[in-house]
Amino acid sequence: MKYRTFLTTAVAAVVFMGACSKDPPPPPEPTGPTAEELEAQRIADSIAAAEAEARRLAELAAEREARAREAAIAAARATLTERVHFDYDMAEIRPDAERTLRDKLAILRASPAVMLRIEGHCDERGSNEYNDALGNRRAQAIVDFFTGFGLDASRFAIVSFGEDRPIANRSDEDAWAMNRRGEFIITAGQNDINPGGTP
Amino acid sequence: MTIGRKVGMRDFRPLALATLLVLVTLTGARSDLAGQEPGDSFPGVRLGLIYETSFQPVLAIKPFTSRFGGSGVDVQVEAIIARDLRYSDRFELLDSLPASLVGEGVDYQLWDQLGATWLVSGQVEGLGEGYSLVLSLHNVVYSEVREQARFPLPDTADDDFRMAVHRVSDRIVEWTTGEPGMAASRIAFSRNMGDGVQEIYIVDSDGENLRRITSHGDISKSPAWHPSGQKLAYVRSVDLTPHKIFERDLRTGREKVLDPGREGQQATPAYHPNGRELAFGLMGYNRTGLFSWDVERDCCLTHIQGGRWEDLSPTFSPDGGRIAFNSNRLGTHIPQVFSVSSRGGQADLISPYLPGTPGYYTSPDWSPTGDWVAFHGRINRYGRYQILVAQVGSRRPEVLKLTAEGNNEDPSWAPDGRHIVFSGERSYGYGLFVVDTGTGRIRALVSNIRAGPPEWSGSLPDMSGEALRGGGF
Repeated sequence: MKYRTFLTTAVAAVVFMGACSKDPPPPPEPTGPTAEELEAQRIADSIAAAEAEARRLAELAAEREARAREAAIAAARATLTERVHFDYDMAEIRPDAERTLRDKLAILRASPAVMLRIEGHCDERGSNEYNDALGNRRAQAIVDFFTGFGLDASRFAIVSFGEDRPIANRSDEDAWAMNRRGEFIITAGQNDINPGGTP
Repeated sequence: MTIGRKVGMRDFRPLALATLLVLVTLTGARSDLAGQEPGDSFPGVRLGLIYETSFQPVLAIKPFTSRFGGSGVDVQVEAIIARDLRYSDRFELLDSLPASLVGEGVDYQLWDQLGATWLVSGQVEGLGEGYSLVLSLHNVVYSEVREQARFPLPDTADDDFRMAVHRVSDRIVEWTTGEPGMAASRIAFSRNMGDGVQEIYIVDSDGENLRRITSHGDISKSPAWHPSGQKLAYVRSVDLTPHKIFERDLRTGREKVLDPGREGQQATPAYHPNGRELAFGLMGYNRTGLFSWDVERDCCLTHIQGGRWEDLSPTFSPDGGRIAFNSNRLGTHIPQVFSVSSRGGQADLISPYLPGTPGYYTSPDWSPTGDWVAFHGRINRYGRYQILVAQVGSRRPEVLKLTAEGNNEDPSWAPDGRHIVFSGERSYGYGLFVVDTGTGRIRALVSNIRAGPPEWSGSLPDMSGEALRGGGF
């Protein structure tokens, strides 16, 4: 405290001396702050610093929270658009697909503005045209799953691409397994995705 | 649902009976068509030929001549006709003979010694514009000119030149056999361009003149020919919305979209022989049905068949009275081929279905002669796909298998009621192939492209002066 007061006085003196050497007419006697004023200033400074610190912490927390939320939204978006796969010739929801669809379901429930286009796809085997029907049935099975849990059917549009849009362009079991799939495209509510839990 | 089941059960018994009879009388199976995998034989299906042709007459072509500036064109015309007649699979061809051997006139004794039954001779005359072909068909056995006609041909640079010559080939087939030819026709199909893009292409019956019709950069497929040969209906996916059917005028390139005012994904168009109605599949939510739509007046949506299953891929009988289609209504999720009155009603099973087996049969096409329906199918769940034809309207329907190699899909009959085009996959690549149901011969139509469902046009009328236009729109 003593040191601070001394410093203030010393700085004031240096400033005064500098001014003196440049200006020929002597300036009015400088009036330094009184001890009371200094004390008040010190308290105010201290409060402001504390407040700034609190603000900084709050901002940091908010930022951290926003980042976490953003990450949660990104994860939710990834979950919403995660593919599900089907067995050969089948449109039944497999157990692994059901887990994925349940994850989507929670997000869709918490995000009523989100609408999806669901695409049904097939592997290259079988009739090209009949595969359009199979893809349609797969997309429909997915919508049926959601509406079965009470979601409104109007939130979903379906389209079948049959065997016309493979993601793996080979003719082997692995490629076929990848190509038999449902795809999910968010068509509305892109910015209203609620990761779930707290709507 | 109950209707479908009843139909399946009722129709199964006579079919199974016929199947047994066919198996018992299994005689004509040709070994060169065999090569089936063990366990890959179809129930009640035999490898075979529709006509069981035992004898093919020798048709000789005398080198064509020219006058009045038809020089060079005679060689071109002769080459096109010779190949058309070879592709007709109705003759043993004797051509490319040296002019020094055959002389100037027609020496019937010489042709008889060469084994010819028929002889074709022709002379191309240059005209101011285009050419004139004077063609004679000789019956060598009777040493007489059987038919003679003059055919106008456009300039060789004209779009219709080859087609005009193909029409001459079809006349020769008619003169000699009394049956229609198929040289003057085209095949439309979708070509896989990669990156999920498919465009409509057409090609002449002899594999020439391959050209692109659409340039949409999305999915255009399942083309269907208007009976006039001047329009194509096809399925297109626009902006990732459910597919719609478009009709394209090949002369003007103009397109219109089918708007029957009912939601759902449209599929598999097929023109009624009257050219006015178009039957198609509509995939609605939990309900897929066959409808027809008046494309001339843009009205009058009519429901033909449908339910909580999938009825798709309609094809009309030549008189327009019946429709063959595929449906999974038997409840197995595996499609079978049925036929039904084009006004709807009870459907009859056509494909060789055995309850409890995974036989899968789709994509029917009704022959222009009316007595056969072609489709493709597999007998094993993991089996390969083969082209089959089933007799309709017979008390003992025969089912024949026409292919044995690779995968074969989406058959479509030629206007001669004898040849079938299909898309095939071989160890060496994809392409379109033509099988002759009379001889079992298979030839490649277009190689090294991945082709979607092909559709063979009817016999194309003279459209000279009206060039087909691709691209744009």
